Amino acid sequence: MNELMRVEDLKMYFGGLKAIDGLDLVINEGETLGIIGPNGAGKTTLFNAICGVYKPTGGKVIFKGQEVQGQPAYVMARKGIARTFQISKPLADLTILDNVVAAAGVHEYTGMRSYFRKSHTPEVIAKAEAVLEETGLTEVRDKKASDVSLGYLRRLEIARVLVTDPELIMLDEPCAGLSNFAINEVTELILKLKERKKSIVLIEHNLPITMKVCDRIMVLSYGKKIAEGPPEVVKHDKQVIEAYLGEEDEA
Amino acid sequence: MSAYVFSISATAAVFVLLALSLNIITGYAGQAMMGQAAFFGIGAYTAAILTETYHVNFWLALILGMLFTGLCGAVLGLISLRLQADFLAITTIGINFVMVALFNNMSITGASLGLNVTKPSFFGRQMGNQEFFFLTLIVIVIVCLLIVKMRRSWFGMALASINNDAAAARSFGIDVSRYQILAFIIGTAIAGLAGGIYAHRMGYIASSDFAFTVSIQILSMVVIGGIGTIRGPILGALLLSVLPEALRFVSDFVSDYRSLVYGGLLVLMVRFMPGGLFGSSSPIVRGSLWVFRKITGKGGAAA
Ligand SMILES: Nc1ncnc2c1ncn2[C@@H]1O[C@H](COP(=O)(O)OP(=O)(O)OP(=O)(O)O)[C@@H](O)[C@H]1O
Ligand SMILES: [Mg+2]
Repeated sequence: MNELMRVEDLKMYFGGLKAIDGLDLVINEGETLGIIGPNGAGKTTLFNAICGVYKPTGGKVIFKGQEVQGQPAYVMARKGIARTFQISKPLADLTILDNVVAAAGVHEYTGMRSYFRKSHTPEVIAKAEAVLEETGLTEVRDKKASDVSLGYLRRLEIARVLVTDPELIMLDEPCAGLSNFAINEVTELILKLKERKKSIVLIEHNLPITMKVCDRIMVLSYGKKIAEGPPEVVKHDKQVIEAYLGEEDEA
Repeated sequence: MSAYVFSISATAAVFVLLALSLNIITGYAGQAMMGQAAFFGIGAYTAAILTETYHVNFWLALILGMLFTGLCGAVLGLISLRLQADFLAITTIGINFVMVALFNNMSITGASLGLNVTKPSFFGRQMGNQEFFFLTLIVIVIVCLLIVKMRRSWFGMALASINNDAAAARSFGIDVSRYQILAFIIGTAIAGLAGGIYAHRMGYIASSDFAFTVSIQILSMVVIGGIGTIRGPILGALLLSVLPEALRFVSDFVSDYRSLVYGGLLVLMVRFMPGGLFGSSSPIVRGSLWVFRKITGKGGAAA
């Protein structure tokens, strides 16, 4: 398998708090990697440090052979690293379609020049509609984002990622807070992407789903990797059971 | 129309322009600008000094005043990148006071005496309220067309995304800082143009014309009309410019206590009707759309 991204000795400190503390990680092309770990383990921070929301305190992020760490988030997005947010951030006043169109412009936001380029061209709308179809959002196409339920918003997040034709898809808890029915829909969607050989990193608290969807799982605790491997192996790792699964049982 | 009507209309038109300009910064780019009058003043003084002291052609002075104001806006834009929203609001208020103090003390701006500005001629005839009204109207139409075009472009999409959530905007490729600066440049440049027009119509400007209370007036117009729309700032500016004049016949209260009335309305609107009188969620707009649909029998989308 070809290596798509390599993270070397990544560190993200907030003052004295070591949210990510020397992490190594490889993401291969066409692979689905799961990241699990207790609340506050540093999963979202890992995404933010990779995607340029934060400048890492140290370490390297190598994407397709190029060092990209420390570059701003909009540059990462243009390079093809697309992520969803744990808390959905739709354009509340715009329709679902317009939300997807806005994301489709990833290579169009060129400053003053973008003033002279129309956003809603037939091609862009067709592309956005295709993604809506794929993510099961066609029925709410013309609804305002503020008027649809969380299940739709979660899939909208994924739609906005897909419409950018990303090389790497990073999903931050796409099932959190959803009903079982909605969780199934999102899981089906991720499985579809997997079939199409997309490279995916998935943060998910729901263990059965993570086990079902992922080829490989990394377990994070206090900013450090405590285990990594195929789902069956990770499931039986003693450290993992103590740090994460055990806690999950208590909850 | 009588001279009096043109005088009021010309002033109202300048405020429409100012409201539209502020709406680009506050409504579309979502930046807490509280000192728009400072840039109105920069444009006014720049254009006036150019024509009076340097005998530059009026039209050229208007353009140069606009460009210089935009340049000052770029500096503010750069500063704004380092500030959170509340601090930006306070900073822009501060800038307004500093500019008024400068206007009031520098010799080039006529210090506390203000500046006399010769009214320009157009085809051999001195321009009066009527000519300035139509000039401003043309500028308003152009600005509106440019805004309509903006809203259909990727530029407009970028501003809408930033206004909604800067982090999300970055995540789909938008260089937020760049667009914020551009919005500041465009919004302040238009205010500067309004200033140049205003100075030459009035024939005299003084620092108090650009006081913080004027910034609040402009902000009230935008918020009361409907922030983030085109019709909102226009109707808001018309309402707040014309209403006090109309009420003058009834009582002097409204025109004497303008700032009080504007400030009060601003607070009430933000609290009870944040979309403004003419925003898309306003009962007035919904009601008229409903009536419109009843009459025409088909759905009409709000602009
Ligand atoms: N911007 C920040 N400034 C300071 N501390 C932060 C910041 N972002 C995250 N942290 C801290 O870093 C740690 C890791 O947080 P993070 O959000 O990455 O956890 P997580 O694994 O995503 O948790 P959850 O499962 O609850 O989403 C936490 O202790 C959090 O408080
Ligand atoms: Mg998280």
